[in-house]
Amino acid sequence: MPQKTSMYVSIMLVAAVLGLMLSVQFRAVNHASNGISIDRAQELTVELKQINKEKEDLSIEISDLTFKLNQIKQGQTEAISALQSELNKVRMNAGLITVSGPGIELVLDKPDTNTGDTQISPELMIIQDEYLLSALNELWGAGAEAISINGQRIIATTEVRQAGSFININLNRVVPPYQILAIGNPQELMDTLGITGGLQEYWRDLGIKVSLEKHDDLTLPAYGKK
Amino acid sequence: MRYFYFIQYFPSIKETAGDVVMWMGIFLALIGLGLGALIGFYIPVALPQDYAKYMSVAALAALDSVFGGIRAAFEDKFDKDIFVTGFFSNALLAAGLTYIGDRLGIDLYLAAVVAFGVRLFQNLAIIRRYILKN
Repeated sequence: MPQKTSMYVSIMLVAAVLGLMLSVQFRAVNHASNGISIDRAQELTVELKQINKEKEDLSIEISDLTFKLNQIKQGQTEAISALQSELNKVRMNAGLITVSGPGIELVLDKPDTNTGDTQISPELMIIQDEYLLSALNELWGAGAEAISINGQRIIATTEVRQAGSFININLNRVVPPYQILAIGNPQELMDTLGITGGLQEYWRDLGIKVSLEKHDDLTLPAYGKK
Repeated sequence: MRYFYFIQYFPSIKETAGDVVMWMGIFLALIGLGLGALIGFYIPVALPQDYAKYMSVAALAALDSVFGGIRAAFEDKFDKDIFVTGFFSNALLAAGLTYIGDRLGIDLYLAAVVAFGVRLFQNLAIIRRYILKN
């Protein structure tokens, strides 16, 4: 009898397992028919792989293009800064910005009238525009980079013109003493004026008071600004 | 085991001890089948799609084993140990074969399907003959 019992148990167990398997499988297959078939899933997986690869390629391309864009931007900023420095240089040459540097200070003052020296003619008692013009000419010739007279920056359109007993510079009336500031190599500027037979001597002979000084740091105003 | 005989004389209860054993076995088998099916239909976990293929081949193998067992019973050669071990080993082997076939990219489950399918029909034919002979 125990042998028979164990046989019944084994038969029942096997039958139960078979029933379980069949029903589970039945459910799984039924479920599958509602969902996505394996083939479709595989197809989608392949597609997904392809798209992922494409995405990777595209992201590589993005980084490449970003790199190029950055380079171009860098080039652009370099070009802009080059243009900016060029513009600064041009503005400096045009006298549109305040400049500073080493140079000389030349002061011309009218002769004292109460010296009693009758040899000085009255028209010489005032400093002629020509003196200033020749001073400018000499200074430019000696390599001056920027010049101002009594705070009036000398630019391309600047006039130095006698107007009665005054001199007009940049349409502004300037009066003695005339302080001429020139930026450049101080020694050369000094030499060009102080050379024997040069302007300094000439002015002294005329009785004009001349003072010439070197400066390490001069600041010249921009055109149109006081 | 005199099947027809038994059917014929069922109400008169004239069966031998062997007949009682067999009918008891079939009865219990049906109960077990119903029980397993009930459990299978009501357990909350669904078989994942990936394993449905393995399970189908395993179920086919199990079905074959059961029919083999019935045939053995008709031949009076039924052995419960051979039956139980054959049932599980066949199912596992079929599922394993399918899995290996999947890994290797060969449809090895076809081998299991063909082998067990052929045997299933052979068993059925033998069972049919036994029933018709008696």
